[in-house]
Amino acid sequence: MNAPSSNALPLPHAATGQETGWLYGWITTVDHKRIGILYLLSAMVFFVIGGLEALLMRLQLARPNNSLLSPDFYNQMFTMHGTTMIFLVGMPMLIGFANYFVPLMIGARDMAFPRLNAMSVWLLIFGGVLLYFSFVTGGAPAVGWFAYAPLSEQAFSSSQGVNYWIASLLILGVGSIATAINLITTVVSLRAPGMTMRKLPLFVWMSFITAFLILFALPALNAAIVMLLMDRQLSSFFFGSFRGGSAILWQHFFWTFGHPEVYILALPAFGMISEVLPVFSRKPIFGYEFVATSGVVIALLSFGVWAHHMFAVGLGHMADAFFAASSMLIAIPTGVKIFNWIATMWGGSLRFTTAMLFAVAFLVHFTIGGLSGITFSAVPTNWQTTDTYYVVAHFHYVLIGGTLFGTYAGLYYWFPKMSGRMLSERLGKWHFWLAVISFDLTFFVQHILGLIGMPRRIYTYPDIPHWATLNMISTVGAVLMGVSVLVLLANIIWSLRHGQPAGDNPWKAWTLEWATTSPPPEHNFERVPPVRSRRPLWDLAHPENPDPPIAGKTAPESPYLEKNFVGMWSFILTEATFFIMLIIAFVYYTGSERNKNPHALADLNLQAASVFTVFLLLSSFTLWRAEKKLEQGRHKGFYVWLSATILLGLVFILGQGREYLGLFHRGVTFNNSLFASSFFTLTGFHGLHVCVGLMGLLIVLALGWAGDYKAGRTEAVRTLGLYWHFVDVVWIFVFTTVYLVGPRL
Amino acid sequence: MTTTQFLFSGWDWNPVMAVFCLGALLNYFVVFRIVNWRRVGLFLLAVLLFVIAICSPLNTLARNYLFSAHMAQHLLLLLVVPALWLLGLPRQTPTPLPQEAAAGKTPITSRRVVLSWTAGVGAMWLWHLPALCNAAAGTPWVQQLQTVSLLAMGTLFWWPVLSPQRSRLLAPLAAVGYLFTACMACTLLGIYLTFSPVAVCAAYHHPQDPLGILPLIHQGWGLTPAVDQQLGGLLMWVPACLIYLSGVIGQLTRWYVGDQAEAASTFAAIAKPSHPGNT
Repeated sequence: MNAPSSNALPLPHAATGQETGWLYGWITTVDHKRIGILYLLSAMVFFVIGGLEALLMRLQLARPNNSLLSPDFYNQMFTMHGTTMIFLVGMPMLIGFANYFVPLMIGARDMAFPRLNAMSVWLLIFGGVLLYFSFVTGGAPAVGWFAYAPLSEQAFSSSQGVNYWIASLLILGVGSIATAINLITTVVSLRAPGMTMRKLPLFVWMSFITAFLILFALPALNAAIVMLLMDRQLSSFFFGSFRGGSAILWQHFFWTFGHPEVYILALPAFGMISEVLPVFSRKPIFGYEFVATSGVVIALLSFGVWAHHMFAVGLGHMADAFFAASSMLIAIPTGVKIFNWIATMWGGSLRFTTAMLFAVAFLVHFTIGGLSGITFSAVPTNWQTTDTYYVVAHFHYVLIGGTLFGTYAGLYYWFPKMSGRMLSERLGKWHFWLAVISFDLTFFVQHILGLIGMPRRIYTYPDIPHWATLNMISTVGAVLMGVSVLVLLANIIWSLRHGQPAGDNPWKAWTLEWATTSPPPEHNFERVPPVRSRRPLWDLAHPENPDPPIAGKTAPESPYLEKNFVGMWSFILTEATFFIMLIIAFVYYTGSERNKNPHALADLNLQAASVFTVFLLLSSFTLWRAEKKLEQGRHKGFYVWLSATILLGLVFILGQGREYLGLFHRGVTFNNSLFASSFFTLTGFHGLHVCVGLMGLLIVLALGWAGDYKAGRTEAVRTLGLYWHFVDVVWIFVFTTVYLVGPRL
Repeated sequence: MTTTQFLFSGWDWNPVMAVFCLGALLNYFVVFRIVNWRRVGLFLLAVLLFVIAICSPLNTLARNYLFSAHMAQHLLLLLVVPALWLLGLPRQTPTPLPQEAAAGKTPITSRRVVLSWTAGVGAMWLWHLPALCNAAAGTPWVQQLQTVSLLAMGTLFWWPVLSPQRSRLLAPLAAVGYLFTACMACTLLGIYLTFSPVAVCAAYHHPQDPLGILPLIHQGWGLTPAVDQQLGGLLMWVPACLIYLSGVIGQLTRWYVGDQAEAASTFAAIAKPSHPGNT
């Protein structure tokens, strides 16, 4: 368990600067620390771009009846600002810190899958470039960051912008899911001896929970945007209400993702605060267990409350009442955290460094944002304030006052570790006061603007009493916020050259990342210190007065904790969620279309499908036999059973092709009914997975011929086997839904 | 009939139930005595909620009128009552067999866990298949079978998490996954029931109305068949998940608090030999 992996191929030797130049070294890197920095740098670049977009909007709104931006360009600005800040700044920023510090904090040498890690960061960069490329194709998307249908359909947004938005989000989604799998596997499989789950630093805990949120939330978005893409490119009409589709389903799918996304952006910041506050209060965190548990509770609750984004839709009083109640519940675990943080500071000897100041600012502003959030869970209030500037103020208090200030705290705290130099405290204080004052100036007045009736997403407004003044205050604040970011950038650039050398542990902190040099060597640790409590470095420095040890067995070498196994299971969980979304769509559309199109399912060939189902299920059996043979070292038997598996899989795919051709002959094509669209989407994605599995099996077969398994390294077979069985199980559900339940819906 | 009249007259004092409940209580006090008042309280609560589910006006509504009342009854019998009565049983001290402890085996087999999970989630889904749901609403013996099976499957479901034999419990983090996936499964059904345009349980759309309270339900309470089904779905979706979530919190608490004594001794065993000299 302590060795990074049992069967990984050796990592490519990182090219050193002398050999190939620094640029090549950064591009080809698989080191989690460099990848973390790449994440942070890209987040920084997009942060500046997204900030400039916000400034343009604020300048346009500074005066009534202003004409600085055209209406359409204004719409593009708020869409790009939202999308950029969520997907290209918020997530990469937090993932970047997780990438850099999770392995260090658990005493690991690297992430579990370094190459996958590199793929994720380049997908992020590629996805970001693709999104911005839309500007030169005739206009960026102008549909808002949640791209409500039917506005986002081809009929109403005919430029390429939305297509680029979809493609970019799909790519970013794949990258985020890959990172989530990587983080989960790293935490589960690569912890240093002694670092049991009960001793995990809270930042690691929160990143771990966030990874699960990504695993379960992103597939909902992916399913929705794939369906939207089909609407736009293959003229289906999933969300096109003008042809019988359901625009509401888009909202359901989007917010199934969208609400957990809020916590994807908040939980890692909670983790940073939980690291920073104790260190600068010189006290251990108060109620470690409560902070960790409430994180889990928030994550679970976050999946059950998305409908509070849709109170204005008209789901019915009954549904509204239930979701109002469950949304209010989220305030409890969040409140628990706030009180824990306050209690951590209580009676401590506080050191008001810039990191600490930002952590305190986080507490204040996040609480304000949380309180205004609770007002939305009351349905009548929600109806009054929905789509006004009150909403804008609320989520900026959460995302800037919460996430961004939390991340600033983390940045000032960890910058010395990453660079080897301290950030200037003088410039830091300037940055802090500018950031806090300008932020409150910009967004506090927006609460009032919203309550006196200013709707969001309008490019200009008439000269109504108070609106002009309040908007002008907000714009001045926004410009100052821009200045504060410039101060931060200046601080970073200046400190990288002239900052005080940091030493290993400048803050006298207690978690493992401070036990190595700043910046850490490529292999992270010469020797991981013993971990007996939650503050291993405190124990090292104070052997006479160590923390009470936390017991709990470090799991023995278990095949269930092997990293490929854990990684594949995480992948299966996220894929299963994706298929659940597609099955929901199928059930919904087939059921709702039954009155109009009663014979839609009569075209399906149940008998043939049953026969081919048997073939697919048999392939699971043959693969199981193949694995057994390999375990026994009988390689010939292994090849025979594996080849049989591949043949059976091929027969299944051919059977699917036959079904498709039959449907085409009877005139059932992708775009002529909701049943057909959802049928082809669901079975098509399953078929795609079968094909991927077949390719994997062929690769395994080829590796086997090449003699890869002679030495007993059979994890590849075991891992791919899991995937293949999963694909078969999915088919059981798809078959049941489409062929058995479908006709009765 | 007014609501108050109905709430007073809707009770169904079934002698079999009375005997069963008294028997259960008597059995409890004879076998376990009163060791821990908290546990006795939980057991009494389980019996009380069972009586409410079976004998109160809720049952009358569930049998004849309202899908949502049926759902409330279903949740009480499947999730609440079994959990409470298991919690009410006195804990047994952990005495793992020496050979088990030596081999480091998990005390509960994965087959048992899968069986339990399937029982709990299966009971949820199975009894809401239109045919079974209609049968249970119309035929008394099917309804009795449903009651018994819900209690049995609920007990089976909670067993790996709340069993009084502590050595046979599922590991806490695994139990979190166990409960979370169960929550997902019942959320899916809840979503379907909430938003389904078709009647899942047609019996409730055309009730017999033996008490003549249908106008009261439709107009007085505003529970038309469509709203009723939506409410039923929401009950399964939100409160049911909160029950699982409470289970998750309980498991995390068990994990963090742990068995202090056991933890301390484990630590003493591993810490002594590896005490480093570099501090």
